[in-house]
Amino acid sequence: MSSLRELQLKFVATLLDPAGNYAAAHVIDRAIPAQERIGFYRNNVLANFRQTLRAVYPVIERLVGEHFFDRAADRYMRVHPSASGDLNRFGEHFADFLETWPPARELSYLADVARLEWLVEASFHAGDRGSLRPEDLAAVPPDRQALLTFDLHPACRLLVSAYPIHRIWLVNQPHAPGDAAVDLAQGGVFLLVRRCGHEVAIETLGHGEFCMLSLFAAGRNFDEALRYAVSVQPDFDVAAFLQRHVIGGTFTGFDWPLSCGDETAQGDSQRPLAAAA
Amino acid sequence: MNGHGIPARAGIGLRPPHYRQLLDELPDIGWLEVHSENYFCDGGQPLYFLERLRRHYPVSLHGVGLSLGSTDALSCDHLERLARLIDRVEPALVSEHLSWSSVGGRFYNDLLPLPYTEEALALVCRHVDEAQDYLGRQLLVENISSYLQFAESTLPEWEFVAEVARRTGCGILLDVNNIYVSSVNHGFDAARYLRSIPRACVREIHLAGHDHNGRCLIDTHSARVAEPVWALYREAVARFGRVPTLIEWDTDLPPLAILLDEAAIADRILADTTMENRHVLAA
Repeated sequence: MSSLRELQLKFVATLLDPAGNYAAAHVIDRAIPAQERIGFYRNNVLANFRQTLRAVYPVIERLVGEHFFDRAADRYMRVHPSASGDLNRFGEHFADFLETWPPARELSYLADVARLEWLVEASFHAGDRGSLRPEDLAAVPPDRQALLTFDLHPACRLLVSAYPIHRIWLVNQPHAPGDAAVDLAQGGVFLLVRRCGHEVAIETLGHGEFCMLSLFAAGRNFDEALRYAVSVQPDFDVAAFLQRHVIGGTFTGFDWPLSCGDETAQGDSQRPLAAAA
Repeated sequence: MNGHGIPARAGIGLRPPHYRQLLDELPDIGWLEVHSENYFCDGGQPLYFLERLRRHYPVSLHGVGLSLGSTDALSCDHLERLARLIDRVEPALVSEHLSWSSVGGRFYNDLLPLPYTEEALALVCRHVDEAQDYLGRQLLVENISSYLQFAESTLPEWEFVAEVARRTGCGILLDVNNIYVSSVNHGFDAARYLRSIPRACVREIHLAGHDHNGRCLIDTHSARVAEPVWALYREAVARFGRVPTLIEWDTDLPPLAILLDEAAIADRILADTTMENRHVLAA
């Protein structure tokens, strides 16, 4: 191993283990001891990771308090070390970590709240795309409608939880009064995280609505999605669904398969533009 | 050549709390700099404001995550995302740090110091060459502030910095605050540092505030530029001429007016120096 590589490995081992003395012999300790000098870097690194998580997970911090949050952050950076020079990726696995971290085990809803906060962050930075144009959709021949597939806007993210995480999120916003109670027994929620302008919005969905969007996201067509949505929610209102999500900009475009039969049957007719640019 | 488009004036670091005010008021500043990684995203508010402000100001991309000094290979993914951002923003300058932040695939996302050895020099030069080849343009490399020195070092930092520029053709982003912080922490002569840097290599200067943690100076970017740093900056401008100069501020971000005020001080020093030079030429 090169001497530089050996030095770098010893240095980071000392960053992670304050009791270790691996790199001290390589550091000139005039006036200030080597261990204290390395400690300046350790403090910077830990503070930086904590601050990064704090910025993405403010609701988690409000729920568990600053001290508990810092403990979680310090453990997280060891279990899921940063794997990129882009610090914005660092918090990606925090929800999975909280789910299995013993000190947080009794807070069963915490991981899903963290998942919601990560999706809010992801939506905030997602790509900019135009919405599907309703007039293009109206031009689809009626006998083709069942085969339509829809592309969700990149800023739209779906989340299901067995806990009332939307309400937990709402009552833990910075300006919310601190005394609001949430009854965990009020049950689960289906959510759509999306962007309105530059702001991220969280919307609640019905069960059928959630299934429709999830199946579209998985590439299934309108007929397949609708059958499933009705099976989980017999009173599913497909007209209201289309009104809300076509007009509301949940989709960027649509498509349908073009078979040989279609080409002869439709002759010179062109498919409507799939992606409404 | 890269660098055209950044005027020889003061610029400021662009930070989200100032997006709206900058775009509404379009103050008279020379240019803007951003941390590249914060714009690696696909869209949304950060890129919206950067692209709009880019229509009014030249932009410099300043990276913190390439880890040029790591014994790991450079990340192709990181370079690709940087290349995409360069295509999108068309920056006048692209810079990185003479430091390392990762080893063994783990990132510590901090600017860690190198031992100044021939081995480290060869490694950094190879990585700068690779980055410049990949991006198809000149990179500027910035001297960091440090809180320790390695016993292995055989070169002074200023020789290391100058040699990286000489061997790779990269430019130097001279951080005058970092020179001052390290000179106090390690007891070297900051003026000597300046004198050892080749005049033609310095394409950009950084200024920022620092703090004292009771034991040594820490580069916090959390305050106004300290008076000894302004004094060192005057020396730097006398040596290197009118070089684009950035006011950096990251922690405890003040109102925009404070940043503009700091930039105006730097602009006056740049202008005064030109007058001095004219005077010298006339005499």
